Amino acid sequence: MNVPQDDTLKGRAEPRTEVRPIQIRGRFLTAVALKIEGGMPDETFYAALDDLLRQRPHFLIDAPLILDLELAEGLTDAADMKRLADTLKDRKFLAFGVQNANPEQLAAAAGAGLIAVPPGRDAPMRDERPERRRAAGRAVSAATPAATRLITTPVRSGQTVVADDGDLVVIGSVASGAELIARGNVHVYGALRGRAMAGAHGDQTARIFCQSLDAELLAVAGLYRTSENLEHEVRKRSVQVFLQDDRLCVETLG
Amino acid sequence: MTPKLKQEHPETSKIIVVTSGKGGVGKTTSAAAISAGLAQRGHKTVVIDFDVGLRNLDMIMGCERRVVFDFINVIQGDARLKQALIKDKRLENLSILPTSQTRDKDALTKDGVEKVLNELREEFDYIICDSPAGIERGAQLAMHFADEAVVVTNPEVSSVRDSDRVLGLLNSRTARAERDGAEPVKAQVLLTRYDAQRIAKGEMMTVEDVLEILAVPLLGIVPESTAVLRASNEGIPVTMDEPSAASAAYMDAVGRLIGEQIEMRMDFDRRQGLFGRLFGRTA
Repeated sequence: MNVPQDDTLKGRAEPRTEVRPIQIRGRFLTAVALKIEGGMPDETFYAALDDLLRQRPHFLIDAPLILDLELAEGLTDAADMKRLADTLKDRKFLAFGVQNANPEQLAAAAGAGLIAVPPGRDAPMRDERPERRRAAGRAVSAATPAATRLITTPVRSGQTVVADDGDLVVIGSVASGAELIARGNVHVYGALRGRAMAGAHGDQTARIFCQSLDAELLAVAGLYRTSENLEHEVRKRSVQVFLQDDRLCVETLG
Repeated sequence: MTPKLKQEHPETSKIIVVTSGKGGVGKTTSAAAISAGLAQRGHKTVVIDFDVGLRNLDMIMGCERRVVFDFINVIQGDARLKQALIKDKRLENLSILPTSQTRDKDALTKDGVEKVLNELREEFDYIICDSPAGIERGAQLAMHFADEAVVVTNPEVSSVRDSDRVLGLLNSRTARAERDGAEPVKAQVLLTRYDAQRIAKGEMMTVEDVLEILAVPLLGIVPESTAVLRASNEGIPVTMDEPSAASAAYMDAVGRLIGEQIEMRMDFDRRQGLFGRLFGRTA
């Protein structure tokens, strides 16, 4: 049994992006991962949880919660899982999904109304539409390697391009009002005038590279800077953007 | 010397949308000037007003008193296409399909628009769709079935940004974008209200800046001109009015639209050497 460590508590930002006739914007939410060990949690688990809640009464209230089942081989019954979710709900934890689940646990989770979230992605989703659940389930079973998305046309104002599984490479310019979101790095071989978000799933080593910086917003792993806060020296220059000691650094190249 | 080859008529008719996103940049003026220019060049041309509820094209074309039936009547089956089409009195190749002033854009349906356009394709070489401003239903339907697009832009930031947004929609929301394997809509930018003096003063964007952002070929540069306003007020398309820098610029644009190589006229620009660069970009 294991209560959340600090690093798992630091929810990671997850942009939600789908193709729909209406415009969907990237959305950042904070989620909490709760590690379950062994089988169905017992009284000592809840006691420890209550202890934690007493120490930090406001920190976790109403937090969207993911159950991490990596070490919970015993928890395979849908009824058990439902009971666990309900018990957590009594403590104002809103469990909505599972991660690191095996196929048996996935089925049980689906039965309990919990959605599957790909491991490593602490993805908060408040609604549980069936198609979303299916999509997430696919991502888990496929376990595809990091895929780079290559865009060879200019990205226009109002467009959002998402590389959900890896790097995003744009050959051409990115207009003001356009948005790039990547799980990994963002490369722009052209002028970057819109928004770029690298490490959208929390990868703090992700970077943004561009040939001419004129961005509205730069973000790595959720930490952002707007154009107002960009130094004059880096404007219209080739730069890389990365995280160092929890600060967003913009450095010219060459 | 290379012989000048000219195709008598395009093999199939072309639907060209004149659009911009932003209002007031000169869409209707340009649609009227281009369609009149095409008709003057001998092509059977029809220009359709998609701006339902804010009908203006008929006024610019000088036929507002002859409107009996309109585009919406045809879509809703209240009139036949032949009844709604207005033949221009000055150019026999030119027809106008006016829109309704009393209805709104919800009266347009995708199926209805497609049916009318298909019927027009049988008779006309060029079908010019004058789009309303904005990116809502009216504008989206105006561009939906287009083969080519003329994106009218003024050399200022908000207009350029809106044009960029429209170029994105042309690449993603049109019939050509939705059909697998189809050529994308061929988009070109028409720079209007070009004022060399204001650009020199830094009050407006340069041609290069605009093209760098939009990254599509340049169809033409139309200078800011009193001739445009006068022609509009008198209900004469600029290209049919007495010669002016604006009418010459529109006629050049028409030539480029039908595939001719015409050097970009920049008499109104002070800088030398721009010709080559611009021409390189548009060729």
